[in-house]
Amino acid sequence: MADKRYLTGCSAAAQAAKLAEVEVVCSYPIRPYTAIMMELAKMVANGELDAEFVHGEGEHAQLSVVLGASAAGARAYTGSAGVGVTYAMELYSPIAGGRYPLQMAIADRTLDPPGDFGSEHTDALSFRDQGWIMGWACSPQEVFDNTLMGFRIGEDPRVMLPQAICQDGYFISHIPDTVLVADPAQVKEFLPPYKAPHPLSMECPVSHGPQIRPDQGAPMDAQRAATFLGLPQVIKEATADFNRIFGRNYDPFLEKYKLEDAEIAFFIQGAHANTCRQTVDKLRQSGVKAGMARLRWVRPWPTHEIAEALGHVKAIASVETSTSYGGAMRGGNLIHELRASLYDLDQRPVVTSFMAGLGGETIWPEDFEYMAKVITQMAKDKKADQYVRWIGFEEE
Amino acid sequence: MSFDYKFQTFEPIKSFKGAPKPEMYVPGHRTCAGCGPALNYRLVAKAAGKNTVFIGPTGCMYVANSSYLCTPYAVSWIHAQITNGGAVASGVEAAFKVMARKGKYDGPFPNVIVMAGDGGSTDIGLQAMSALMYRGHKVLFICYDNESYANTGIQVSPTTPYGAQTTFTPPGKMIPEAKKLFPKDPPQLVIGGHPAVKYVSTTSIAYPLDLMNKVRKSLSQPGPTFMHMHTPCPKGWGFDEKLTMEMGKLAVQTGMWTLYEWEDGEYKYSHLPKEYKPVSDYMKPQGRFAHLKEEHIAKMQAFIDQKIAHVKATAKPVEAAPPAAS
Repeated sequence: MADKRYLTGCSAAAQAAKLAEVEVVCSYPIRPYTAIMMELAKMVANGELDAEFVHGEGEHAQLSVVLGASAAGARAYTGSAGVGVTYAMELYSPIAGGRYPLQMAIADRTLDPPGDFGSEHTDALSFRDQGWIMGWACSPQEVFDNTLMGFRIGEDPRVMLPQAICQDGYFISHIPDTVLVADPAQVKEFLPPYKAPHPLSMECPVSHGPQIRPDQGAPMDAQRAATFLGLPQVIKEATADFNRIFGRNYDPFLEKYKLEDAEIAFFIQGAHANTCRQTVDKLRQSGVKAGMARLRWVRPWPTHEIAEALGHVKAIASVETSTSYGGAMRGGNLIHELRASLYDLDQRPVVTSFMAGLGGETIWPEDFEYMAKVITQMAKDKKADQYVRWIGFEEE
Repeated sequence: MSFDYKFQTFEPIKSFKGAPKPEMYVPGHRTCAGCGPALNYRLVAKAAGKNTVFIGPTGCMYVANSSYLCTPYAVSWIHAQITNGGAVASGVEAAFKVMARKGKYDGPFPNVIVMAGDGGSTDIGLQAMSALMYRGHKVLFICYDNESYANTGIQVSPTTPYGAQTTFTPPGKMIPEAKKLFPKDPPQLVIGGHPAVKYVSTTSIAYPLDLMNKVRKSLSQPGPTFMHMHTPCPKGWGFDEKLTMEMGKLAVQTGMWTLYEWEDGEYKYSHLPKEYKPVSDYMKPQGRFAHLKEEHIAKMQAFIDQKIAHVKATAKPVEAAPPAAS
């Protein structure tokens, strides 16, 4: 039976990695993800987990070590945060292109400058286009669950892709919450052992990552793109299995909170959804038909599910905890793809965005209420007067 | 704690003719005529045999070798970035260890060999190489040294000799000697600060039996080993492609290159010349030194004289080395 415990997001990730029986773990310290590795190091030292625990000399090395381990046939696990994520930038493409289904835990953090420990989604989002499966959890429980789901989806023979399992630094990584730690038998039922299709082998020699001619490039890229097209189906199957085995109720792509009859909606990913949900309840009490769509996977982006879930609302506030300087919407990242997802609808909601929570600041209920006020007016005007507003910089 | 990983051990090869017949580096590459690193690869692979995994960081031995669907490796091979040969190899080694412990793999422990160029070993790849040596993975890290970033068009690297012309160190009236700096000494970088390393060696393709036996000795160690391999490059150094072996010999005969083993703190030299030839004998046939004036060659000679003095000070009576193949 599952064991009910009180865990931080970091502890939840470590517990899930242990249950997944990760075989090669590569560490390097950077706050706030470090606690995941501290716990795994203890498990290896105590003999609770039979894994090679490699002290990488940096994040670039971490990703390189797990690449090699995955190529040789082991289930491999690493993680990072903030500038550690960007220091490893060279490796994201070779790992995805090599189809190594290893996992990277990210407890996100602002990028420098200035030095800041707080949560922000820009670090991981900076490699979202390199062919990884990527998504944010909004609770330690979901961190635990996504860790297992990540391996299952990524290692599916139809997929073979690495996964970035993200959680908001501090808000999730360091605040304990109730977590049902699954029974090993449940995990075994859900997650088969990893079997690399073409590992580095002495019996059947293989070459990984040779040079191609330009005319061989497009077919390989097309194959990877096709894999992403098939990915939603695999995610649906894995989520259904997960819900059945572990007794959960996840939607594969979007948490849809009070959206059915909503007239205005928040679009959000990660920890701040918890405050947002409460604000939706409060707004509902005062007669405002508000709802929330929380993104579970940013890659693959659930285009059609978003159109289906949000097409009927009048106005949407995209809550942006990342930066896209000079981007089309002058603010964050999510609104670009949100708007693109809605473009083909005959009747499109009005969509604007709010920069909030940058630098790891709390997004308060009043901030969400302010967003609701702005988009309620936009719904009336049937027009977004601005692409973006910066919370705390606006004059009321 | 004392799990038997089935590490391989190798007997020395007694004569060049007695070397293993199977080739593990086969046709299918497109290296230049007279390529030293390609000859070197063939000898290393032959000495290592079939239970081998090569890690190939970006460099000539990646770019000119690994064409999709016709790579020349008869054993498993994986590309690494030019930055991370040491780290990818660490992961491969760690994976085989844990898979052996868990019963997922029960064959002989592979020879994990990194075939890195001088840039991938001593410049951008230095951090990963050093970390591998420090952590003690059972990996042979090879620096095949052609003394430049050759596949990108001959740019200066940390092992490019003083006075050599490259496309980043052209001679001109302000900088008549082209490269002004003296090179890094890769084996000394390893020996100087990595307690897990017990065996380091240097080789030359002109002494193939010596080379293959050092490979086999390296692969018989339970921990990390490092080899610095002299691999002349006709295109980069500007000599006639039929002279590759000759350049290898001249490097040793002039003291520009020294063949040695370092084992547990002791140096053992092989093929030490009784009388060293002047460095100009080595430099004259090479276009990369053609612009140098007498004063520059004298500066090089002084640098090499110091190295020779160090060799003489640390050399014990040399045991008869196996004869070189002719």
